[in-house]
Amino acid sequence: MILDLLKKKNIAVNIKADDWEEVVDETGKLLLEADQIEERYIKAMKQSIIDNGPYVVIGKGIALLHARPEDGVKENCLSLITLAEPVEFGNKNNDPVKIAFAFGTVDNEKHVKTISELSVVLMEESAVDNIAEKESAEEILNYIEDILAQQ
Amino acid sequence: MRVLAVCGMGLGSSLVLKMNIEKIMEQEGIEGSVEVKDLSSIMGEQADYIFASEEIGEKIEHPAEVISVKNMTDKKEIKEKVLAAYKKL
Repeated sequence: MILDLLKKKNIAVNIKADDWEEVVDETGKLLLEADQIEERYIKAMKQSIIDNGPYVVIGKGIALLHARPEDGVKENCLSLITLAEPVEFGNKNNDPVKIAFAFGTVDNEKHVKTISELSVVLMEESAVDNIAEKESAEEILNYIEDILAQQ
Repeated sequence: MRVLAVCGMGLGSSLVLKMNIEKIMEQEGIEGSVEVKDLSSIMGEQADYIFASEEIGEKIEHPAEVISVKNMTDKKEIKEKVLAAYKKL
């Protein structure tokens, strides 16, 4: 599930990004370096925001970035960055973004389980601020593990 | 209550929305189903309500009432909107 996908190598904290495109680059880079997506997937994630609008900012301070399986996904994957400074995506309700997840999916059944757990984590009171404050990938993973253990 | 949760691709925000609506329906004992759809595949789908982000909601043309959600991770907002929709049925 989420902890099977979200490994230390898929998390980066206190990342500097000047605009939303850099947020997509940085979040996507973690999946690219892990050889889980092709480079074109990052471009597709940006295009999706250009085409569909900034509704990827699904909740206060949180972006959920993705494109389609056929845009260059090698395996189900998930990455997370926390931002040194919040970044505007142009979403009037939920800006600015403090943390961003990027995912790729080729196996829908597994993907549904991952998103289900991610929803549980994000519905937690102050989850975004708690994740944004963490200083390392380990701390973030421990936090997520604790929330899921309470379910 | 039959609900469609809709976003651009049916993979991301609509899935988060589906999970959260289902949770509220379960807690409140509301019978029904929540199905994920992308924008291009909702025509011809039967539903009582369509839930989506504001941006996507504006693009939807469907006989069912569209309910837009500002913050898909806000339990309170989703609960209020699900309960209000259920009462209107």
